[in-house]
Amino acid sequence: MNYNTSHALQLLRLATAIPNATFREDQEEAVRHVVEGRGRLLVVQKTGWGKSLVYFIATKILRDAGSGPAILISPLLALMRNQISAATRLGVRAETINSDNETEWLEIENKIRRNEIDILLISPERLANERFRHEVLSTISARISLLVIDEAHCISDWGHDFRPHYRLIERIVRTLPSNLRLLGTTATANNRVMEDLKSVLGSGLTILRGDLNRPSLILQTLRLPDQAERLAWLAEQLPKLTGSGIVYTLTKRDAVQVSEWLKSNGLNVEPYTGETGEQRPELEQKLLDNRVKALIATTALGMGFDKPDLAFVIHYQAPGSVVAYYQQVGRAGRAIDAAHGVLLSGEEDADITYYFIESAFPTRDEVKDVIAAIEAYPDGLSVPELLSKINLSKGRIEKTIQLLSLEAPSPIVKAKAKWQLTPTRLSDQFWQRAQRLTELRRAEQKQMQAYVQLQSGHMEFLIKALDGDPSPMNSTYPPPLSTTIDESLLHKAISFLRRSNLPIEPRRQWPTGGMPVYDLRGNIPLELRPEEGRALSIWRDAGWGKLVAEGKYVHGRFADELVEACRLLLERWNPQPKPVWVTCIPSVRHPTLVPDFARRLAAKLGLRFNPVLTKTEERPEQKTMANATQQARNVDGSLALTALSLPAGSVLLIDDMVDSRWTMTVGAWLLRKYGSGEVFPLALALTSRG
Amino acid sequence: MTLSFSANTQAALLLTAPLIDGATESHPSLLSPTEYRKVCSLLSRFDMQPSDLVQRSSAELPEQLKALVDDSRLRALLDRGFQLTQALERWQARAIWVTGHTEETYPGRISTRLPDHAPPVMYGCGDRRLLELGGLAVVGSRAVDDWLTQYTEDVGRLAAQAKMSIISGGARGIDQASMRGALDAGGSTVGVLSDSLERAALNREHREFILNGQLTLVSPYDPSAGFNIGHAMQRNKLIYALSDAALVMNSDFEKGGTWAGAIEQLDKFRLVPVYVRSKGDVGKGLEALRQHGAIPWPEPTRADDLLQLIEKQSAEPGSPAEQLSLL
Repeated sequence: MNYNTSHALQLLRLATAIPNATFREDQEEAVRHVVEGRGRLLVVQKTGWGKSLVYFIATKILRDAGSGPAILISPLLALMRNQISAATRLGVRAETINSDNETEWLEIENKIRRNEIDILLISPERLANERFRHEVLSTISARISLLVIDEAHCISDWGHDFRPHYRLIERIVRTLPSNLRLLGTTATANNRVMEDLKSVLGSGLTILRGDLNRPSLILQTLRLPDQAERLAWLAEQLPKLTGSGIVYTLTKRDAVQVSEWLKSNGLNVEPYTGETGEQRPELEQKLLDNRVKALIATTALGMGFDKPDLAFVIHYQAPGSVVAYYQQVGRAGRAIDAAHGVLLSGEEDADITYYFIESAFPTRDEVKDVIAAIEAYPDGLSVPELLSKINLSKGRIEKTIQLLSLEAPSPIVKAKAKWQLTPTRLSDQFWQRAQRLTELRRAEQKQMQAYVQLQSGHMEFLIKALDGDPSPMNSTYPPPLSTTIDESLLHKAISFLRRSNLPIEPRRQWPTGGMPVYDLRGNIPLELRPEEGRALSIWRDAGWGKLVAEGKYVHGRFADELVEACRLLLERWNPQPKPVWVTCIPSVRHPTLVPDFARRLAAKLGLRFNPVLTKTEERPEQKTMANATQQARNVDGSLALTALSLPAGSVLLIDDMVDSRWTMTVGAWLLRKYGSGEVFPLALALTSRG
Repeated sequence: MTLSFSANTQAALLLTAPLIDGATESHPSLLSPTEYRKVCSLLSRFDMQPSDLVQRSSAELPEQLKALVDDSRLRALLDRGFQLTQALERWQARAIWVTGHTEETYPGRISTRLPDHAPPVMYGCGDRRLLELGGLAVVGSRAVDDWLTQYTEDVGRLAAQAKMSIISGGARGIDQASMRGALDAGGSTVGVLSDSLERAALNREHREFILNGQLTLVSPYDPSAGFNIGHAMQRNKLIYALSDAALVMNSDFEKGGTWAGAIEQLDKFRLVPVYVRSKGDVGKGLEALRQHGAIPWPEPTRADDLLQLIEKQSAEPGSPAEQLSLL
């Protein structure tokens, strides 16, 4: 394929919309290398260097010369929107298929079939999807002229970024004939990862590697164990910062909570998580235009987000590795003289990271259970069928299936809608690999802890961890942010954390297979369902969660403060029609715990307490049931009424913990069936499963 | 058992295999096995291999190639690299392996005995070593009565007792009866399939046998490919090539796959001795095969007798009709 320098430059100016733009160091070399088909290429450059320009310009030249379309595989496509607009200016027809644009899939799939797409951007998960491959990708797979692997470091087991589906990418790269153009891009690859990539991508690999240092960043770390302290710090410091930025949290729940807190302090912020859905482009644009002070985000706002003047990146909790941290903080200060990178760390960070590390792989028992269940059915089993056969959570079953099916050869494969066994057994390498990766993650967590403790030399530490050259360091930093905490803000944060209003959504349907003992199946009639309920806390959260746990497991009695907290919650909630009596879910195991609490709450509210529900037999605790189907079966037939006629009017149904909501659903069904008014569930804590 | 193979096999797959990973087959016009062999021998004259097609630029390849295969057709086939990875992923997920005629893992009996007819690639599932052990080929039709089914199962059982593999086409009727007899008696079998290898690999009845090394399924056709009468005929010679001796259980007269396969052996390839059943109503087809040189099956009933019979025969194997090297 012929490459023409002046034409490439024209394309660059078109794409950037900058009339006198010139290629950065190595950028043109990369385009030329790809176009001329000079073998596999790996580009290691920090975010914002312009990796996407390389593949868009190369795609344009290849397509104009009559070649087939390009495919780009990237873990986070939602974030490529601003790159896609560069492609559009070039006349490159780029389309993405990801979980955020499901409504457009059909249209895009038809465009693919009609050869109306120049570059298709898909996730590794999509590439593993049988239907997509079978019905869509197969129509163009014979003509693909360029394969781009974004975030190529994920191919390596030694990367900080464990993405199970990159196993698939690794195999594709290993079996790809050398005549197909292959471009890998990444912003972070230490020596170990580079060695791995060289071995996977082959000996003829060309590497273009740039400088990683970001001299404009002012890095600091601050250890504030309590969430309230961190909330108070944020509320005080954020308004003092110039420009807009990102506050990262480890969980979706924290992103929403921090955002609500900051809003209640008059700050213009928005949460941004994997569940933000269709609003994501709008929120990204607001941040790009400095129309929000900050997005409070999980790592869903990550790779590929390109804002040259991002003024700060603050972490509410410490991520699991310094490489991940550097990638996130490195988004700040690319085109401005100074930007802040502040890492707050708290007491819960280690627990969250520990949970992510320990739950990354299925256990031997989980694998054994799933395989044995499928083995018993010659035609295989679907996931809903597996849920009713084994006592594992849906998440764990899905995780087990996903990781098994990504092995090669795989012990299970999806044949139509069901998972079927293949004639192969899981190799021992699977377990060795799981163990090696788990140990690696623990080592990374330790390194992160070392960073948290640093008093100075933060950038040097990060660059060294990345095997970069730490010599050209900026020593004339502006002063870091204050580390003090305002007492009044702290008190405000504490009461904020204790004022959560967590909804309990009513279930609308009985479980798959029904409730055989009660003889119930299908939809639950509207007039027999509970109303939307409320929970006071999340199990062991920073608000009331700890006090609830102590009440249940230490004192055997819930504190009076919780009674008062529930009264306040009801005042804010104001359910209508207003409950006129109170009842509760009974327990054989703790016969007085909940009734005692419900009685005290009823007294405080001035309502009658009427314990009309009873347990017909002792069943295993709901928390030992790992998925909702098992929990529904466990409740089936276990509740009954002690009175044949119930007080009229709307009722408050109290329980200590709510998990699958089946107990509340059955309780409400009994109450309504025998004549009560509307049933409003109220629980002290929601347990949230991973 | 991660799939790994040379650039030679990549080239063989790109040029000749449909690489099905979709509801519809989508590929440029494939090279027929004959065209492919011509390309190989041309490359060989220039001291090149199929791998050079994916590793060198078109300028470095011999001009004469264009006379054999139109350049744009060749490019279109070789540009299917991504499609190749997708097909491989599909096969791997189902524990199906693939090997090319230049690989060490390619069944030796097929490459040495059928130098001019060895398929460029073979797909399979199960232990490859079974393909090198020889054994008794059992062939016959799909429609059989109870007596013949029982008789065929007994032959399979006897082979198992003699620790001799049964090689068959894996189809309904005779093929499956012989395999069932052998497998249930703890013996080993090779099924040379003409279609749907993928479905057979996932059949739960096969799973234990494949896992414990009793059953190996193999096919020269894409694992997703459906039934095709031409394919069914073509794979007959592979069944004979993998065996030490063949036993025809029943056959139509002058028609059908069993007849064509047996006649091809008796008249052309002469790879192994061909027996025809003696017991029961043998019919016009088997009679006619005898006229063509097939030997009446001596109806051994003891393992030793069967072993002796096959050993005696394989000591003096029929010589292949032609002995030309592929490359």
